[in-house]
Amino acid sequence: MPEGVLCNKNKVNTLEQLQALLADKSGKQYYQEMNNLDVDSKALWDLVQKTCKSRTRTWLEICTHCGLCAESCFYYLSNHRDPTQVPSYKIQSTLGEIVRRKGKVDNAFMQMAMDTAFSKCTCCTRCGVYCPMGIDMGVMFSYLRGLLFSQGFTPWEMKIGTGMHRIYRAQMDVTTEDWVETCSWMAEENADEWPGLEIPVDKENADILYTVNAREPKHYPEDIAQAAILFHVAGENWTVPSEGWEETSLAMFAGDWEACKMQVEGVYGAMAKLKPKRMVVTECGHAYRATVIEGPYWAGRTSGKPPVDSFHYVEWVAEALRSGKLKIDPAKKIKEPVTYQDSCNYIRNAGLWDSARYIMSQIAEDFREMTPSREHNFCCGGGGGLNGIGRYREQRNIGLKVKRDQILATGAKLVVAPCHNCWDAIRDLEEVYEIGIRWSFLKPLLINMIEVPAGMRGEE
Amino acid sequence: MYEFVTGPLAWLAFIVFFVGIVVKLVLYIRGLDWKLDRVTYSVNTSYGVRGALRSIGFWLMPYGTQSYRNNPGFTLALFVMHIGLILTPIFLLGHNILLAERWGVSLPSLPEGATDVLTVCVIAAALVLLLRRIALPEVRIITTAYDVLLLAIAVAPFVSGLLAHYAHDNGQLWTIVHVLCGEVFLVAIPLTKLSHFVLFFATRAQLGMDYGIKRGGMKSKGIAW
Amino acid sequence: MFKKLLFATTASPVCDNAAKVAFDLEVKWEAKLLILHVMGVPGRAFSLQFTDVRTGQREDISPDYVEWVKEEMNNTYGKLLEDSNAEIVTAIGDPYREILRLARKEDVDMIIMGAHSREEDIGATKHRSVTGSTMRKVAKAARCAVVVVNRPCTTCWRLFSNIVVGTDFSKASFSAFLWAFKLAREVGAKLHIFHSIDITAEGLTLPAGQTTIEQRVKEARRRIEQTYIPKLQGYDKYSMEVWEGIPYVEILKFARDRQADLIVMAHHTREIDPEEAELGSTVEQVVLRAACPVASVTHPDKVADLV
Repeated sequence: MPEGVLCNKNKVNTLEQLQALLADKSGKQYYQEMNNLDVDSKALWDLVQKTCKSRTRTWLEICTHCGLCAESCFYYLSNHRDPTQVPSYKIQSTLGEIVRRKGKVDNAFMQMAMDTAFSKCTCCTRCGVYCPMGIDMGVMFSYLRGLLFSQGFTPWEMKIGTGMHRIYRAQMDVTTEDWVETCSWMAEENADEWPGLEIPVDKENADILYTVNAREPKHYPEDIAQAAILFHVAGENWTVPSEGWEETSLAMFAGDWEACKMQVEGVYGAMAKLKPKRMVVTECGHAYRATVIEGPYWAGRTSGKPPVDSFHYVEWVAEALRSGKLKIDPAKKIKEPVTYQDSCNYIRNAGLWDSARYIMSQIAEDFREMTPSREHNFCCGGGGGLNGIGRYREQRNIGLKVKRDQILATGAKLVVAPCHNCWDAIRDLEEVYEIGIRWSFLKPLLINMIEVPAGMRGEE
Repeated sequence: MYEFVTGPLAWLAFIVFFVGIVVKLVLYIRGLDWKLDRVTYSVNTSYGVRGALRSIGFWLMPYGTQSYRNNPGFTLALFVMHIGLILTPIFLLGHNILLAERWGVSLPSLPEGATDVLTVCVIAAALVLLLRRIALPEVRIITTAYDVLLLAIAVAPFVSGLLAHYAHDNGQLWTIVHVLCGEVFLVAIPLTKLSHFVLFFATRAQLGMDYGIKRGGMKSKGIAW
Repeated sequence: MFKKLLFATTASPVCDNAAKVAFDLEVKWEAKLLILHVMGVPGRAFSLQFTDVRTGQREDISPDYVEWVKEEMNNTYGKLLEDSNAEIVTAIGDPYREILRLARKEDVDMIIMGAHSREEDIGATKHRSVTGSTMRKVAKAARCAVVVVNRPCTTCWRLFSNIVVGTDFSKASFSAFLWAFKLAREVGAKLHIFHSIDITAEGLTLPAGQTTIEQRVKEARRRIEQTYIPKLQGYDKYSMEVWEGIPYVEILKFARDRQADLIVMAHHTREIDPEEAELGSTVEQVVLRAACPVASVTHPDKVADLV
């Protein structure tokens, strides 16, 4: 059975494997090897039989092929209504075929399925909201990615991403030491301006356990500093864990179910160890989805909930504004037209639209909804890991057009995007289409807007 | 022949139909897996039930959902056909007369004119749906012969029923054809994806529970379908 | 005084003058020199791509690419590297962040950089959607001195004879003063302590303000005498001067007047929202116009022994 050196059915569990993958520029060798990768039909079918039960099978069987899902899909819309972009077609011709053929599919089929799963679907689950039968094709694509992963058919970056999670318990190579060091660095860097600012690590019984996205310590640690400042001003008793601080899950995007479990168990472990009253995660959509919404199931928690009550950052901000812990200086509200990017992962798939609306009502004078919005909003175009996959860059850029037009229609030049993926996609959107917009997380906006109690900010 | 198709064969068809849909439903529910589906069906069930009812309710209501409102023509055809499919056979005078003859029980009947209109509407709606399948590229690409066959199976009893009622053939040919068509329809329901007759409620409830329990139902008023 | 130096370069001509100073310092102070090239701003999301700061091309991170960049650096600084034991380090990220990260990790005594213009920071600006230059951000947060070299530095560091330190009496300025003194003492240079009454900031432009200005000048001189001079521990090669005007203009005039080899000042945290200031902070203004290198010292970490 030909297995590549880089592209194979093995999981990336060692640094050597990871480094070998990283050394393969753009995954050239990886994708070449993929052309010769055998499909183990028996294993694939065994896996399907074990994991594809009545819910998914019924979804596949009773699709009446009415086509109502077509218009719900931003890929369909941005590709000039290409019929091959109809969600039902996409899932039936991939997962549907695997099930119908009892796993007897070949390499070319698997690559086609991989291309479909990663360049024609962000698993935003919008189609599920538009299907009369309640068929959630986004969920099925997520499942398909898992089947593909088990056979080694996953994009190069995804393979690396899962390796990162397996080795570092983070989506990037940020070690525990790096993380803890970054926290003290950020506290120090802002100590002059914010006397008494702390980023407490591993404090037990805190009110809030704060967790982040590895990209923050890796590339923009000021995000952590900003979170610290806002907690500080709000007077929260908070902490970060030294381990289990990373909430994201490229493993979820890749369909590496085993790594999904490993990842969330790390976070739950931190909760068990530090016994916080609750957990708050940074402005990241899929992190919240992975750890709070789906995570409990991977970890086998029968309650369907994480060990402690868990909140997305927008929930905390909304609460802090409501309770007066954070006060907005009315003179500093956003005056220009501003719109809000509803992240699929914590809006449609977690119901937090009201928190987002409340925040906007407090910080903006001219808030403009996108059309459609809330649970009906379109994916930014970068969900499901699509932002980071080189192989499908072009397709993703086409997909951004729907969001571009939605933003343009609001007339707003500022887009509030409290989700790392949305934020990235909108940045890319501006880079590709140059429509003259700016985009921001909530934290930097809030820091410039809040009323700081006297004496809290350093004089110099 | 008439006696046979309306006697033992009818019994058989009804048995297959009723047993079939029960089996379908039971298999569906037994195949649900809280861990694989990632929905705690038996924890926070009240949220799940609320989500399920919302999910079913909005989608049973004509134009009750965004999807329906976005496609008014399709929705009209869809509801006309389904209402006709269900009301006509149950409240048709002829069926109830037959029922009264055989079992001495019967349901209230609609006036013949009404059921005729319903029948024509079903046929017209089915035609619209068929044309839509051919005309719209996004529907054509997913349409298979099987889909057309099922549409034919569903409409055949109506076409043959009309003929049986109005063709005045004494040999009862059309009536027999009609009864056979009806029986095929009944049998097809549990055996084909016409099983959405019951599974619609099952899958809708499942997704409703998913949203109600896990995907935000406990933190919001519920998804606006 | 300088055991570890960090030269942050874009490996472009902007940094050539800074490079000369950096290599010169390495040799003369027998210091360890780290040359940091931030190759590019991070690419998409978690992906391994980044945008090369020089070419603007999207590149993949790979050992080959890093080797290639190092090779290029060797070519760029070929001659200078001959007498040097400098270590070339590469990183991916926002330049200011990576400079600060390495400076902290290695606890360097000085960061040397070219006057990165704002245009060059566009990549970084795009990445984070924030304004402001690399230089200003590094100057603000670095715990050590940040020396920005814009024009060719004709005088060797060791032979400095005039060091100008500008103060606004802030805590940060005091650190800048101590550092300037430490350096002046080390190389035997004359230390010129300077303050400018900011007439724009204090609304002193009205003619009636003249007496007020004189009052202010007197006060400032007294402040320097009381708080700064005692710290010189008897070092007598110094002068003090208080002028009035727009601070960055005055300090430039003063530096020219005293034939300064180096201007030392603090990153002025007092300035209102420097993120939005059109022209940038005073430090930036001085850097762009000064004939000599400019050192920014904002934190007391490296002068703790003198406090």
